[in-house]
Amino acid sequence: MINTQGMVAETATKIYTDLCAREVPHEAEAGRYPQALWDALTENGLPLAWVSEANGGFGADLDEVFGAIWASAQAASPVPFAETLIANWMLDRAGLAPADGSASFALSGHTPSADIPFGMHADKIVLFDEAHHEISLFDNRVAVRSPEESLSPDGMTQFVFSGHVAEQSAKTDLSRQAFEALILTVRAVQMAAAMESALNLSIDYVTQREQFGRPLSKFQAIQQQLAVAASECAAATMAATQAASAIARHSNDPEQAWHEAVIAKVQIGHSVEAVTVPFHQVHGAMGYTQEYDLHHYTRRLWAWRDALGNEHLWSKRLGEALAVTSPDQVWKGVTTGDWTDRKSVAS
Amino acid sequence: MQRFNFPVVQPDPALEELRGELQAFLKEEREAGNFRPEPECWMASADPEFSKKMGERGWIGLTWSSQYGGHDKSALERYIVTEETLRSGAPVAAHWIADRQHAPMLLAHGTEEQKLDILPRIAAGECYFAIGLSEPGAGSDLANVKTKAEKVPEGWKINGQKIWSSGAHMCHYMVALLRTSPADGRNRHVGLSQIMIDLSLPGVTIKPIVDLSGDAHFNEVYFEDVIVPDDCLLGEEGGGWKQVTGELAMERSGPERFLSSYITLETALYQLSGKMGSDSHARLGKLIAGLRTLKGMSWGIANLLDQGVSPETEAALVKDLGNRLENDLTQQVRAMLNDLSSEDWSPDMRRIMNIGVLRSPPNTLRGGTTEVMRGITARQLGLR
Repeated sequence: MINTQGMVAETATKIYTDLCAREVPHEAEAGRYPQALWDALTENGLPLAWVSEANGGFGADLDEVFGAIWASAQAASPVPFAETLIANWMLDRAGLAPADGSASFALSGHTPSADIPFGMHADKIVLFDEAHHEISLFDNRVAVRSPEESLSPDGMTQFVFSGHVAEQSAKTDLSRQAFEALILTVRAVQMAAAMESALNLSIDYVTQREQFGRPLSKFQAIQQQLAVAASECAAATMAATQAASAIARHSNDPEQAWHEAVIAKVQIGHSVEAVTVPFHQVHGAMGYTQEYDLHHYTRRLWAWRDALGNEHLWSKRLGEALAVTSPDQVWKGVTTGDWTDRKSVAS
Repeated sequence: MQRFNFPVVQPDPALEELRGELQAFLKEEREAGNFRPEPECWMASADPEFSKKMGERGWIGLTWSSQYGGHDKSALERYIVTEETLRSGAPVAAHWIADRQHAPMLLAHGTEEQKLDILPRIAAGECYFAIGLSEPGAGSDLANVKTKAEKVPEGWKINGQKIWSSGAHMCHYMVALLRTSPADGRNRHVGLSQIMIDLSLPGVTIKPIVDLSGDAHFNEVYFEDVIVPDDCLLGEEGGGWKQVTGELAMERSGPERFLSSYITLETALYQLSGKMGSDSHARLGKLIAGLRTLKGMSWGIANLLDQGVSPETEAALVKDLGNRLENDLTQQVRAMLNDLSSEDWSPDMRRIMNIGVLRSPPNTLRGGTTEVMRGITARQLGLR
């Protein structure tokens, strides 16, 4: 289970309960950005939860904040809360001050452009430039933003990093794997939370909707479909929780949590189809309408499973990493979650 | 709010020492030719000599008190032992069921005399138990059991038949779910009791059932006027249904529900070393992600069991997911092995793969079918 106790998680849960009721994601999509929600998160300092106290944040442990991310995803958060947390963590790990306002992030690979989630709303963009081991902060408001086709209502923009002058830049000693570990873990927590919310909607729907003179929930075909989907949701939560626990344990060296984060990405990515298909199926045509809430979760799940590359790509990356270690090491990882090959580290 | 309760447990280095001891022993035994690794070893690969060696080393009866021949260890240490023996495909079927469920049952419900007599023999790897649930007319509909125990002056008189009793031909006892009084109208859960039956008693007949691979590990067991003493009633008279369903979390959530065919994958990893193509990498990554996730769920339940919590729905989820993953594992490994030409398969690889395929159908049946597991989950979801 994701830990939803503690001040950060409880404060976020309360804010989302009060200010992100079911109509808010609908209104946001119609163009009425929920500024009050973002302001409440900011006034409580929540986007700074992972920023060290020296840089003006809470310096919260990583695992204290995953419960807040869980709450935001269950509310289909239409503001870039998780993205700002990630961006500020990246800045902090390079010794830079947190972003002024909301932020999103990108990891630069071999291309000078990147897809930015929430790119139309985030005030700032934080970039990890792998080639130069550098973290930079850009002002997104002065950039030329081109909205990309996106599956998610949160939107995506293409940001081309050419000739932009960073507001701040600093070297970081963290590897790409370290940033991937955190980003994939945050996404895993969001996805598990969204899956559970969509499961809850489905259960509510089938217990209320009647056909052939009885609730849909009384048909065994419906029960068995939702039971399978529920097992996938439970597995998703476990995968996300193990990743969260690993990165919290290795907060000084997040690269060590890479395998557990990738496992969560692969496990949850593969289960998206296994849950969204039955959720839509049991809802009938109603679940396919804009008016109903299900798509706030299913469209985000479809977008998040593609973020940083889809589950097929990451399955291959994980398999490649495992294929060069020994079968003994693979077993050790499966059973204990310790994926550090001491022999290869020593050599 | 999260719907299911699977705690995440932090790594414990002390447990890893035990793991190292197991690995060394299992490697030595295998290299000495004392066993050939097999998938589904906990059900179908029995060797009393091997069980005695496990007993001598203190690896059976880990969780119960030394007063009864146990070793005063936690359920987590027992978990490490089961996990490592499954990984090796070792012949552990003789003692597996007694160690897993009948010893805890005796600890909870047995007389002092039974505990002192039987538990040390189980821990020594010398005394084996069979499960007595299924009958010809009672499979998924377990409450339909018809085998009867009647109160007589000497104790209980048993008549009827059990079926699919794994290992009964080499077991010393069976714990059977029996009807001790009639059902109360439509409520068939009342009037059922658990009774321990010495399988060497007169009136017990055990007939092997040969499975599709030619193995005869399960049996029909007939009872004809079998008399057992009063104290063989385990727990409450009429409380059998509740006791049986309470044990199921233990039975359904262990590593045997998703690691029984790991030996197939591991053997293939040695075979494919340096030869894996990108398609196989993707299959391997997906399999390992699934296995690691299931381990987390199953381990979380082991921790709850250690604290005295018995989460029935979570256990049903692990069994359903685990059985699916196991069957998928064999299929994925078949595809991965296309990176080799078939003449490069080692004899062991072919043998293990064949056993794995032949032993796959009962995964999703025994211990409760997939459909029953999903029914349990659906009830927890409030759908039935």
